[in-house]
Amino acid sequence: MFRPDPRTRATWRWGGALAAILILQSLVLAGIFWVTANGNHRRAIEHTLLDDCGFFALTPPAERAEELRERLARDIHRERFLALFDANGRRIAGNVATIPDLPPGTSASFVAPVAPTELPGKTSDVARLTLCPLSDGTRLLTGMDLDDTEEALRLTWQSLLLGLLPGLCLALGVGLVAGRRAARQVDAVRLLTERIVSGDLAQRLPVPARPDSFGLLCAHINSMLDQLQMLVAEVRGIGDDIAHQLRTPLTRLRAGLERGLREAEDRAGFEAVIDRGLAEIDSLLGIVAALLRLRELEDDERRSRFASIDLVRLVEDACDLHRPAAEDRGITLLCECARVPTIEGDASLLFEAVANLIDNAMKFGPPNGTVTVRLASDAAVPTITIADEGDGVPAAERSLVTQRFYRGRRDGVGAGLGLALVKAIVDLHGFALYFAACGSAVTIRCAREMPAPLR
Amino acid sequence: MTQILLLEDDPGTADEIRLELVAAGHGVAHRSTLAAAAEAVRAGGIDVLIVDRQLPDGEGLDLIAALRSEGFRTPALVLSALGSLDDRVRGLRAGGDDYLPKPFALVELIARVEALLRRPDERRDTRLIVGPLDLDLLEGKARRAGRPLDLLPRELKLLDYLVRRPGRIVTRSMLLQDVWGYNFEPNSNVVDVHIGRLRRKVDGEGEPQLIRNVRGQGYIFDVPA
Repeated sequence: MFRPDPRTRATWRWGGALAAILILQSLVLAGIFWVTANGNHRRAIEHTLLDDCGFFALTPPAERAEELRERLARDIHRERFLALFDANGRRIAGNVATIPDLPPGTSASFVAPVAPTELPGKTSDVARLTLCPLSDGTRLLTGMDLDDTEEALRLTWQSLLLGLLPGLCLALGVGLVAGRRAARQVDAVRLLTERIVSGDLAQRLPVPARPDSFGLLCAHINSMLDQLQMLVAEVRGIGDDIAHQLRTPLTRLRAGLERGLREAEDRAGFEAVIDRGLAEIDSLLGIVAALLRLRELEDDERRSRFASIDLVRLVEDACDLHRPAAEDRGITLLCECARVPTIEGDASLLFEAVANLIDNAMKFGPPNGTVTVRLASDAAVPTITIADEGDGVPAAERSLVTQRFYRGRRDGVGAGLGLALVKAIVDLHGFALYFAACGSAVTIRCAREMPAPLR
Repeated sequence: MTQILLLEDDPGTADEIRLELVAAGHGVAHRSTLAAAAEAVRAGGIDVLIVDRQLPDGEGLDLIAALRSEGFRTPALVLSALGSLDDRVRGLRAGGDDYLPKPFALVELIARVEALLRRPDERRDTRLIVGPLDLDLLEGKARRAGRPLDLLPRELKLLDYLVRRPGRIVTRSMLLQDVWGYNFEPNSNVVDVHIGRLRRKVDGEGEPQLIRNVRGQGYIFDVPA
């Protein structure tokens, strides 16, 4: 079958459905009219016919023919049939030539064609008739012409059909408009998705001020696109960052190896070159490993391994691990632990986060200063605060420092993944990471701030 | 000579690992499919398995499970890609096996393989006497050639760990995992500083060095001859 465009189907469906409803309604209306009108008319005719029978039965036989002619003369509309037949079926008087054939099972009245004698140009006419036997053996045929009834019925049908025609046009028109409108809305979405598929994520669907269900759908699609656009931008940014971050040390590595190959003269010289190369490669591998770890931390499955953690032990262990390194740098590492309730989490990850923060504090705080690690309880919520005596992260950079590859200082220390890792660990636990309003304190607030993970 | 079965389908990686293991004095049988590896293990004579996870004919963990169900207790080191660290891999530790996330340093791999080959001295001895060292864990005291060493509790634990694994590479992450009890890769030299201090306390003036640095990320406790 020929299907020009699937979108026109909506038009035809809407129009077709409306037209069908209109036709059905007209048919029912006509039916009701016909049944009601026909029934009334028939009762009226039968009443008249029975009146005639009664009248002629009471009329003396000698006067019947005369009375009949008189009645016919009075029937100026020529809608009456009256005839008197003798016992043998011969006409005595009246305007019907013969007794029509009685349909079988005839009751009081019946419809049959009659042969009129006085209607010019007409040899047969349909009428409702009654044949009543009279006392002297003669029979009276009385009837009423049905031309009028048929005419009325015909008019009814005609007017209904005439009314139906504009109705059908209207139905098709409304269907066309509704279908077009639906098709246009769908078209807008289709065109948009085509543009999105081809890479243009900036497109948005129009949403009316008072949206209907389709408008709400459009709004949903728009918010989905917002999310998608953000994610794509993030992924692109990460890809660029990774390439950029790896390119610098790789360039350095290549240059170092090249120079070594050219300038090294003995075994010791080559070994020094190789050692430097290995150190560069290790730092590159460190970046890759940290990135993979970030990716791993985004996998929520890790939450299924959460267990009870004694934070006091964890914080003391972290201080213990860093104390010698701090002393070597002339930094005083203070560890203040209050008793706090146990929390649910991954001890190794939280330890890594705290270790990273301590490491940062030692690296970026003033030389020979003090780094304080404080475990406290804030309204029954354990908080771990790490502070050095410096100014901390400048306020303007605070939203940036937890992004990958952001380095507060351009002095080449680290790859700028430490705080991103801390943030990822804190996020995984559903905890929150705060920077103090002034000073360098960074706080992990160990309260779940999102719905409990599925177990 | 110990025989190590290496199941790895990337020829370049396999070559590097093989060369390193051979240099460390181990025999290496290299296979690149699960079927070939299973055959080699069933033939016998394998001391340790090194198993990559994604192989042409299936998943390395399944091979280990199959061998275990056949009664083979050969310890296995699983090379798993980071970012796909699942519970099955994590459960390996409990079963006497180990895992190493990629990318890894070869020295780490050798250290882990040797740890699997020679289970540490797990006797619950509270008194260890190795070479000139005399560790009394109950008293929390250590002596070297009669000279008392002034060790912090953590330093004693470190020394205990090293002394129980003489002549074998112990990496930073092994120390963090087994001495501190946290499983992560430190991004600074915190562990080195601890070892440095321990070493200064253990090695007095003119005494031979007991704890040796392995370039990269490990240490070896050498028992003096």
